[in-house]
Amino acid sequence: MPNNRIETQLNKLSERGEKAFITYITAGLPDMDKTAQIIKAQESTDIIELGIPFSDPIADGPVIQQASYEAICAGATLSGTFKLMKSLRDEGVEKPIIFMLYYNTIVSCGIENFVRKCHEAGVDGLIVPDLPKEEQESLKAALDGDDRTILIELVSPVSKDRVPEILDGARGFVYCVSAMGVTGQGGTFHSTIKEYLSYVKSVSPIPVMMGFGIREASDVAQVKDTIDGAIVGSHFINLMRDAGFDPEAAREYTDRFKKELNAL
Amino acid sequence: MNSKAYYGEYGGQFVSESLMNTLDEIDKAFEEAIRDPEFIKEYHYYLKQYVGRETPLYLAERLSEKYGTKIYLKREDLNHTGAHKINNVIGQILLAKRMGKTRIIAETGAGQHGVATATGAALFNMECTVYMGKEDVKRQALNVMRMEMLGATVVSVESGSNTLKDATNEAIRTWAKTAEDTFYIIGSAIGPYPYPKMVKEFQAVISREAKRQHMEAEGRLPDVVMACVGGGSNSIGMFADFIDEPGVELIGVEAAGKGIDTNEHAASMAKGRPGVLHGTRSYLLQDEDGNIQLAHSISAGLDYPGVGPEHAYLHDMGRAKYVPITDEEAMDALMELTQPP
Repeated sequence: MPNNRIETQLNKLSERGEKAFITYITAGLPDMDKTAQIIKAQESTDIIELGIPFSDPIADGPVIQQASYEAICAGATLSGTFKLMKSLRDEGVEKPIIFMLYYNTIVSCGIENFVRKCHEAGVDGLIVPDLPKEEQESLKAALDGDDRTILIELVSPVSKDRVPEILDGARGFVYCVSAMGVTGQGGTFHSTIKEYLSYVKSVSPIPVMMGFGIREASDVAQVKDTIDGAIVGSHFINLMRDAGFDPEAAREYTDRFKKELNAL
Repeated sequence: MNSKAYYGEYGGQFVSESLMNTLDEIDKAFEEAIRDPEFIKEYHYYLKQYVGRETPLYLAERLSEKYGTKIYLKREDLNHTGAHKINNVIGQILLAKRMGKTRIIAETGAGQHGVATATGAALFNMECTVYMGKEDVKRQALNVMRMEMLGATVVSVESGSNTLKDATNEAIRTWAKTAEDTFYIIGSAIGPYPYPKMVKEFQAVISREAKRQHMEAEGRLPDVVMACVGGGSNSIGMFADFIDEPGVELIGVEAAGKGIDTNEHAASMAKGRPGVLHGTRSYLLQDEDGNIQLAHSISAGLDYPGVGPEHAYLHDMGRAKYVPITDEEAMDALMELTQPP
């Protein structure tokens, strides 16, 4: 058994023959209490991505940019998010949770200090969209030797021959970007999406997740035999916003998505 | 780690995975181009015949007399479009053409780099989009008009602080989606490698000329070379050929805005700390969470919250010294240079 919640969860899903369902929310939007409630309401979600708001989110589309901006204005901070994580773990929430954040947030905190805090707060994984393979050395050195927090790798349709190199030693799952690097493209698939996902799947030793631009389970129907799971980001934030951040709306949407995903 | 992307601990390539192959492609094309005599010949042809180089190195006589020294001014303001920005635009746009790109994008703050890029794009018949913060679009309406007259599309960026850093974010996002046919012309000595190197290469013409002109005038190298630093393109161009001359003191002047002890300045080396923004690691104005702070300067071209990675390196090595100057001091100096004594 791996000593990491994400990998344990993915193993369990694989045994059951299920695809993973992953959602993204921005921490502190509209406030940390609501974020905690929205996390707890998602019983059907397999893994949760928690975005740490950053002033200059260059890899995000307008929805997450705005969410990030509003969360910062409402007082969301990295230390506040660690506090939220700790209290969730103290309450017995065992769901795998990944921090999605920009590298400067880590650098500013101090890389080793940041990793220690992740261990203490029960952060299971990190997605750092502005940290390509070539720049991962320092963070990987700090994460190395302790399975509690792992680094999740991203690949894009233009990664091509970089994919095997990126996946060499990769942990958890591989996050496939599907709209040339930016979220919120309204379900528009990159023209060569099927070939791209098949290629990643063919070389990946770990589960392949399709991210960016998914709204409903039916959106991934065309690639269901290729991917191991789906990630919903911008759409989930829009949905939460429209529902006034009502945790019940999160529960309903995620229950339905997971059920439909299983039925594909 | 790609060690050639670094100046000491500064620089690097902190961009999304989807841009890594693009950066590699640009790096290869750039290294090939600057070793190709035909490319260099074409670049210098346009600098001479279109930009109007070389620019004079002018001895400011009364000012020199007043301060008991000799002060020469390198007149980059006399370039076509009114600033040094065009030097780099010509170089990068020729590279874009060579790479078969058909669209150009750029970010701009005050509009100087935007106007230079729109001009270059019109010259070489390329489609051009310039990203500009909503605040700057309002403040610099005349430059918006110039860019549009030149056939460029100006996109008013409404996110975050609505200024230069947000325009840069938007340009990078667009680039990540369209890199196959689009070349991003970065105007300052910032961004992921090889941009800081390219900008230096194409701005180094400033110091190459100045060095020769000074030798002709004085028969020796200058004691001090001084330039203002925002992102650092003008200053890295002015320093370039003097860095390996240990007898020449290099001084960069940062914008201290309303004072470095206020929250309204752009002195990233005096008051910032190292961090990662827009693809590069360098000194940044940031809060305790690593969120980037707003920069202020009376000079709209200097209000960037970071600085080029080579400047950060020259600073740490002690090769160049960086001093902050307030808005008031800068205005006083401008008036002193402008008016009769």
